[in-house]
Amino acid sequence: MARDVYIIGAGMHPFGRFDKSYEQIGAEAAELALRDAGVQWRDIQSAFMARMYLPATSGPRILRKLGSTDISIIDVEAACASGGAALRQAVLAVKSGDVDLAVVCGTEKMPRGFMDPSMIYSTWQVELGISQNPSYWAMRAMRHMYEYGTTEEHIAKVAYKNHRNSVHNKYAMYQKEFSMEQILNSTLVCDPIRLLEICAPNDGAAAVVVASEKKMRQLGAKGIRIAGISHSISRYSSDFRCPAESMSATVENLGPTAVTAQRAYDAAGIGVEDIDCFEVQDTDAFCEIEIYEELGLCPTGEGGRLIDEGVVEIGGKTPVNMSGGLISKGEPIGASHLGQVVELVEQLRGTCGPRQVAGAKVALAHVLGAGGNCAVTILER
Amino acid sequence: MSTPRIAIKEGLFAGHLDNLETVHLAGSRCSSCGEMTLGTNAACPNCGDQNVAAVALGDSGTLYTYTVVRHRPPGNYQGPAEFKPFGLGLVEIDRVIRVMAPLLPAPDQLRIGMPLRFHPYVLRTNENGEEVIAFAFDGASS
Repeated sequence: MARDVYIIGAGMHPFGRFDKSYEQIGAEAAELALRDAGVQWRDIQSAFMARMYLPATSGPRILRKLGSTDISIIDVEAACASGGAALRQAVLAVKSGDVDLAVVCGTEKMPRGFMDPSMIYSTWQVELGISQNPSYWAMRAMRHMYEYGTTEEHIAKVAYKNHRNSVHNKYAMYQKEFSMEQILNSTLVCDPIRLLEICAPNDGAAAVVVASEKKMRQLGAKGIRIAGISHSISRYSSDFRCPAESMSATVENLGPTAVTAQRAYDAAGIGVEDIDCFEVQDTDAFCEIEIYEELGLCPTGEGGRLIDEGVVEIGGKTPVNMSGGLISKGEPIGASHLGQVVELVEQLRGTCGPRQVAGAKVALAHVLGAGGNCAVTILER
Repeated sequence: MSTPRIAIKEGLFAGHLDNLETVHLAGSRCSSCGEMTLGTNAACPNCGDQNVAAVALGDSGTLYTYTVVRHRPPGNYQGPAEFKPFGLGLVEIDRVIRVMAPLLPAPDQLRIGMPLRFHPYVLRTNENGEEVIAFAFDGASS
């Protein structure tokens, strides 16, 4: 596998709620990525559309607005990891030599409030109310607090950091700082998780243009290398994320983040200590703490200490969610991972302004959701 | 003749639905790796072996973790018309399995490690006139 794959263009439609069709939102992101790469849609040889809550053939419906060429355009769905799974397909297509230039776009348009449970749960789980996504993450938080002494303040501090980082991100739905008091007094959604500690489903799109090294040189583009990319779903009894019906009390397997990250580290030939900054799945503020541990930023149970010590702040040793994370951007599911990738491309180009991580060379994007779907992408300049 | 009954999910319960005192959660024990899983399964999700035996899970458990659902769940939720916050948790049974279940004790009474007891009940009558049997876990003395 000698063919390296590069991101030569990146573009994003803000995340939020818009009076626009998903076709428009997605096409705008794709156009921005093409313009950034300096290529035309007619030059693109293959395209992948990450989406979850949109209808069948959303990819062609969105991208054919740019021109009805005869290339392969497919939709990719892997819950919250849809964007990572789609990007991985494009990387494999370029690595295999099948194509030299591809577009990966993630688009979503979602109603307010809790997500439609019929997409994820069995009908009996919905009838019994075992069907509210945040409840599964909240149960993990409750157990972590019991075992390791993690506190509600630790969880609130993550939300505080991410909301504060978002103030400088024009793509975020909420670009607003909240005080610790406001966060800790916001409505409980599922104990111990509160409203200002949780991400909202919304609308948005993000896209990248990926190229083989040969194509990048032909175009005279300066790309960001995809050093490693992996997608997996949780192994038996390793994660009780929705829609889990039960867990083993005897078998304990590594969680999906640990497994998927290790595969990406191995592909990139690096370790977590070589990575300068991170964008990770903060569906709620607690899960960011758990992800510090599973990525290897600290030992199990010490995630609370990391937020206490400021290690994950923009000016800290390993900044996490410089963009403000999903807590402030919202989570348009198909677009969320590609939104992280766009943020990291800008970080590695050094164009992030007040939220720039000084001298960032290697960066990691991580998503995790239903079914233990997890994707990790490592980028290098 | 009594009203016909049906499980909320096929294969979820062991016993006779017409007498709730005989009803337990159904489990499947793998004859290869010994792993116990919830419901009547054709294969073991741990090792893939198809030689699994149907067993009944015990009715006693302890609370491994929980949350409180503070807002009405989305979609076709069949709980009380006037929503009341309720506990949801993983209940550890026989030290081998943890089952996701609604919890009947008041939310402020919930504690990790508390003893709980399996509680099958009639959730509703469906469009065929059958009583739909569901389950929760209730508080128990240790």
